[in-house]
Amino acid sequence: MIEREGAAGKRGNRIEEAHAEWREKILEPRIKRFNLKESPTRFHLPPGQGEESFLQKVGFPGQYPFTAGNQPFDYWQAYAPDAARLGYRPDWGGSGKVGKYGGFGTPEDYRDYLFRMQSMGRMGGPNIAFDLPTQCGYDSDSPYAAGEVGRVGVAIDSFRDFETVYEAYTGGLDIDKVPSNFTINAPAAVIIAMYAVLAKKRGIPLEKLGGTPQNDILKEFIARGTYIFPPRPSMRLFRDTCVFCTRRMKSLNINSIGGYHMREAGASRVQDLAFSLANGIAYVEAGLEGGLEVDQFAPRFTFNAFGGSMEIYREIALQRAARRMWAEIMKERFRAKDKRSMMIRQPITAHIGCISTTLARPLNNLVRAVIGGMAAGMSGGIPGAFPPFDEPLGLGHSQEAVQLQLDATRIMIYEAKVADVCDPWAGSYFMEFLTDEIEEEAASELKKIETMGGAVAAIENGYMQRAIAKSAYERQKAIEAREDFVVGVNCFTGDNEIEVTVNRVVEDTYDAKLLTTAEDRQKKKIQELKRQRSSRAVSRSLSVLKTQAGLEGENLMPAICDCVEHDATVQEICDALRDVFGEAQPVKI
Amino acid sequence: MDQQGKIRVLIAKPGLDGHERGARVVAFGLRDEGFEVIYTGLRQTPEQIVNAAIQEDVRVVGLSILSGAHLSLTQKVIEGLRRNRADDVLVLVGGVIPDADRTALKDMGVAEVFTSGVRIGDIAALIRLHADAVPVQVQP
Repeated sequence: MIEREGAAGKRGNRIEEAHAEWREKILEPRIKRFNLKESPTRFHLPPGQGEESFLQKVGFPGQYPFTAGNQPFDYWQAYAPDAARLGYRPDWGGSGKVGKYGGFGTPEDYRDYLFRMQSMGRMGGPNIAFDLPTQCGYDSDSPYAAGEVGRVGVAIDSFRDFETVYEAYTGGLDIDKVPSNFTINAPAAVIIAMYAVLAKKRGIPLEKLGGTPQNDILKEFIARGTYIFPPRPSMRLFRDTCVFCTRRMKSLNINSIGGYHMREAGASRVQDLAFSLANGIAYVEAGLEGGLEVDQFAPRFTFNAFGGSMEIYREIALQRAARRMWAEIMKERFRAKDKRSMMIRQPITAHIGCISTTLARPLNNLVRAVIGGMAAGMSGGIPGAFPPFDEPLGLGHSQEAVQLQLDATRIMIYEAKVADVCDPWAGSYFMEFLTDEIEEEAASELKKIETMGGAVAAIENGYMQRAIAKSAYERQKAIEAREDFVVGVNCFTGDNEIEVTVNRVVEDTYDAKLLTTAEDRQKKKIQELKRQRSSRAVSRSLSVLKTQAGLEGENLMPAICDCVEHDATVQEICDALRDVFGEAQPVKI
Repeated sequence: MDQQGKIRVLIAKPGLDGHERGARVVAFGLRDEGFEVIYTGLRQTPEQIVNAAIQEDVRVVGLSILSGAHLSLTQKVIEGLRRNRADDVLVLVGGVIPDADRTALKDMGVAEVFTSGVRIGDIAALIRLHADAVPVQVQP
């Protein structure tokens, strides 16, 4: 396919003439020779943008509009040689950094696991995966929790459980020294409150607490599914956490806005970008509605990896377009002045997404992950190979897969020096074209959402959910019709190919015995808790919460902190809010 | 079967797992394959799924589970179907299922386990095969 001139500028006649001649004499005959309708490759002409246009649309790394990157180099690059000499393992965490994402069983199980890891030298702050009942606001003794307690993360029913996990974080790893990550969304306010109450009990000032709660409820409705309340009251809870964190927990990031989950659920690249931006806009508006100035809170927004496909060029372009679009939205629309308000701060950039991995010949997933890492390294991120190759084989990565993943990342950094050039495709004809193209398409999709009334309205009317479901099905049909090819899945599956297997020992992280007994042990602890605590204090604090929930202008964080402090359970707090807010209903697709 | 003689299929998401892509894609795909598909949406208890299967008089229940809770949730659905004398319902499981658990699921009575990379046409073929082999219970 041949690209015509972008909207930006004029191109000299000589190039136009030469282009026409090339088309006629070289390209068309070749297309005809192979009996094709169009060329399977693209060739891009100079975009016709002069110096001024380059400065305006690309610019230098660390300068608006951040197309070329947030910084001239990332923080890890300053320490890369030392990390190699010292044999630093990022998955083991470091002082001042979060540790490996994890969580299972009861809080006691997870705490003991953390102690074991620490004794092996794995440091870093807690990076907590919560089980599904916790994420959906149910206690371990709820009928909805049956079979799921402690499965995909640790079960947290009350502040005592939270405190138990943090028994592993004292002294040099106390909560004013290491940050905490919480993959929690619908009950984020409750978990943030637990963190605040813990600091209070330990006599640590709130502003010293670092870390990131995911706190991105909108994408739960669109993709991830762990919602509790309907979208509007959910956004009110977001507003309350945003204001509370901004005023009281100044070092804590406010949220982690995810595009990645939507891609995994089927979103196209353009939907990923447009929906993430729409969600981001809704969060900014919530903060403003809470009475804050944009530069007070937007610098503490983070993002959780746009992207998730094998198409390396387009994934690089997506990162560039995303940075430029968010910067422009923040500067022009919300009048932000702080550079950090305009930046897409995300721990990883481009990647292939778990959805690109295959169960067939799974070692190929390592190759796929490296391609994602190349895209990341060439678009302002750490060139990380993600995920481990055995991702689609079942829950839990083997030590071998994690080792190969780490080594692949190191090879990209140290041997291939993938990240040694900042925005290496800047000014390239095709990359600037692709970046403009994605930006244009995403802008038009974003406009559509804005016309509906923004992200919340487009979730309430089911637009985003349906759009993603449709894209997922289109992709499946393209694979089955063999319009898109996936090696080992819908092509190259004949008898001449062999299955390559590797020795794989699954890491003994999740003790099967502990997992099977977690539910019963958690249930017993809830009974005990309910016997020991002051039920009058609990019901009083819950009733205050309910009253305040009915008053739209109230910030609910102090009331939630009070409930947490009196040992109300996660479900009791969520039930109080369910009574006032109602529950979200799944959208019919 | 419905009036047009289409085989009725219930696609269900048991438990709290929110991964919906597979369930939706299979629901769309089986619809295009000519089945009458009912999709429950997220967060159904095994009891709700059994009730839906009986009320909708489906021939097939497809459970989509990616949370690791597949053994206990599937067990409960199958027991519920048996209790309600609906054991002629074909139960299929899809999702992230470790190889080691396939046998356990099949021993419970699951007809087939589908994981990543399966073609919808293959699911459809399996359903047709079983639907032809097992006579439809005639309701009095």
